Amino acid sequence: MKKLSKILALIMAVSMMVLVFTACSNSSNTESPAPTGSQAADPAETGSGDEGGSTADGLSIGATYYTLQTEFCMRMDNAAKTWAEENGVEYVGYDGQNDAATQLSQVETMITNGVDAIILNPQDADACVACVDAAVAAGIPIIGVNTMVNSDQLTAYVGSEDVSAGEEIMNYMIDYMGTDSFNIVVLEGPMGQSAQLQRWEGINNVLADYPNIKILDYNTANWSRSEAMTLMETWITTYGDQIQAVVAENDEMALGARQAITAAGMDIPCIGIDGITDAVTAVSTGDMIASDFQNAEGQITGALEAAVKVINGEEVEKEIWIPFEMITPDNYEDYVGRY
Amino acid sequence: MSNVSTPAAASIKRSRMSGKQFISTYGSLIGLVVLVIAFTVLSDGGRYISGANIRNILRMASINGLLAVGMTFVVLTGGIDLSVGAMMGCAGMYSAYFAQATMGYHWFAAVMVGVLMGLAIGLFNGVCISYLKVPAFVGTLGSMSIAQGLTFLITKSKPIPGLTDGFKNIGNGFVGPIPIPIIIMAVVLIICFTLLYKTRYGRYIFAVGGNLNAAHVSGINTKRIICSVYVISGVLSALAGVITTARVTSGVTATGDGYETDAIAMVVIGGTSLAGGKGRLWGTIVGILIMQCLTNGLDMLGVSYYAQLIVKGFVVIGAVMLDGLSAD
Repeated sequence: MKKLSKILALIMAVSMMVLVFTACSNSSNTESPAPTGSQAADPAETGSGDEGGSTADGLSIGATYYTLQTEFCMRMDNAAKTWAEENGVEYVGYDGQNDAATQLSQVETMITNGVDAIILNPQDADACVACVDAAVAAGIPIIGVNTMVNSDQLTAYVGSEDVSAGEEIMNYMIDYMGTDSFNIVVLEGPMGQSAQLQRWEGINNVLADYPNIKILDYNTANWSRSEAMTLMETWITTYGDQIQAVVAENDEMALGARQAITAAGMDIPCIGIDGITDAVTAVSTGDMIASDFQNAEGQITGALEAAVKVINGEEVEKEIWIPFEMITPDNYEDYVGRY
Repeated sequence: MSNVSTPAAASIKRSRMSGKQFISTYGSLIGLVVLVIAFTVLSDGGRYISGANIRNILRMASINGLLAVGMTFVVLTGGIDLSVGAMMGCAGMYSAYFAQATMGYHWFAAVMVGVLMGLAIGLFNGVCISYLKVPAFVGTLGSMSIAQGLTFLITKSKPIPGLTDGFKNIGNGFVGPIPIPIIIMAVVLIICFTLLYKTRYGRYIFAVGGNLNAAHVSGINTKRIICSVYVISGVLSALAGVITTARVTSGVTATGDGYETDAIAMVVIGGTSLAGGKGRLWGTIVGILIMQCLTNGLDMLGVSYYAQLIVKGFVVIGAVMLDGLSAD
């Protein structure tokens, strides 16, 4: 009797599991067998036969993002889904869980799944070289997006130049201050991450021409609002009203710093990068003077379009740059409710 | 596994144990088979069981599974090791440091640095828990933080690229058609099965986990046994870290982050009781394969990561539920 109930429980558990994942997979998988069946032959045919335009219809493209738990990556994934639907492409986006090894195994899964191209948003520029190597070995084009991979094997790279973002916010802050002699503090991203290194480089490129702008202090707040708030509180205690402007390498940190500033009853201008929803609001209320918008949608669509071109045997640029866009009190309305 | 002739007491203990565990072990095996069949049917043209995909699954299972194998030893004594993921990252990073082409060390030296790192942290865990009476949960939680700190210390959180080809080969190379990580796992499993089921040491581990006082009274050096399982866990975690680093061809600080929960899940799915004394290494292997087959299969079907988390949660709970029912 006991055995029977155990076996019954097991069968129930297993069938529940099967039900769960078949239900989940249905949405993305119903149309897959037909297109994937013919896709293997498609690119070859278009390559030799009619060269008429780069049709994306029926292609299968996979993407692995270093995480799907930040707004920026979610925006890329969502834009990719929309683009794929519009263009009749079968698209699957994977969450790399901040782990290069996970991303590598996802690339391998995509290869066995027979995708036509892979989009890679790497957790780390160096650690994800293995992903590129795996795709190249399998003869599948691999396009980097948003974060560079230190490999010359990458089919193409679509991103925005973080150095120029650093330069743009520093220049904007100088224009805003209307003087070239003031003190700033800089909130940095996680030390060693390419976005941190390059935005820092950009800020310093500008400062090289302004010897009277002094960096009172700089430190990492790891892209985090709460860490930035704590750091800013410490700085306010240390430097008081010597701090005349806050330059943050992303919006989250600019917002955290601004919270600390408001709490201390001060009014120090803050600027950030990325153009997240909260930052657009902050620009509208004057809590941030501006935010340099990084175009997630532009980057991922650029990558997908490049992938389609490569599959169809067309030439693409090795590096495709999507410009940052400054969100200011004059134009913030264009960015409200965009996502 | 239990056909060897053993002293009477041990053999009675073992036969009772395997009787209790029979259903749950059998259950998870059936679960695995059903999973594989289901994924094969659902995947496009059955490419789930293609040679390349099986190789992918086994390679990942070999790397992540090393943590679970070490964890099995710890859990059998009634302990837990929360530091496996951090040790993995730490060992990987230190071995990467010495595996840089510019450093000019042989790959084997780099591997040994990593393994020794794991051994040291594991020994630290073991001493704290067995001799200094720190609860396992707290002790390994502390060393998890220490190991993460050590990882950042060596590199200031920057990744370490430019590893030698010999080192990278550990994660990416093949012997014939078989990836090297799978071979390493096979060797580790042979050693662990021998240790656990063919030696006195293995019986002591079960005894300590089953009833610590009884084991102590019967003359077993329980402290040394408990200490040793954390060393085993440390060394195997380190090995996983070294292989992962070699596989992604650079040292990354985030390696191993959060892997401890997966390792514990694999052990639990395999039917090893968190209370200690009861369990099978064989079950852990099934647990490892279930987790890896699930991840790979759901990825292949394009199931979102969020849904995957939910499915995996149900699988873990379901497995323990089965275990509980079979213990009635």
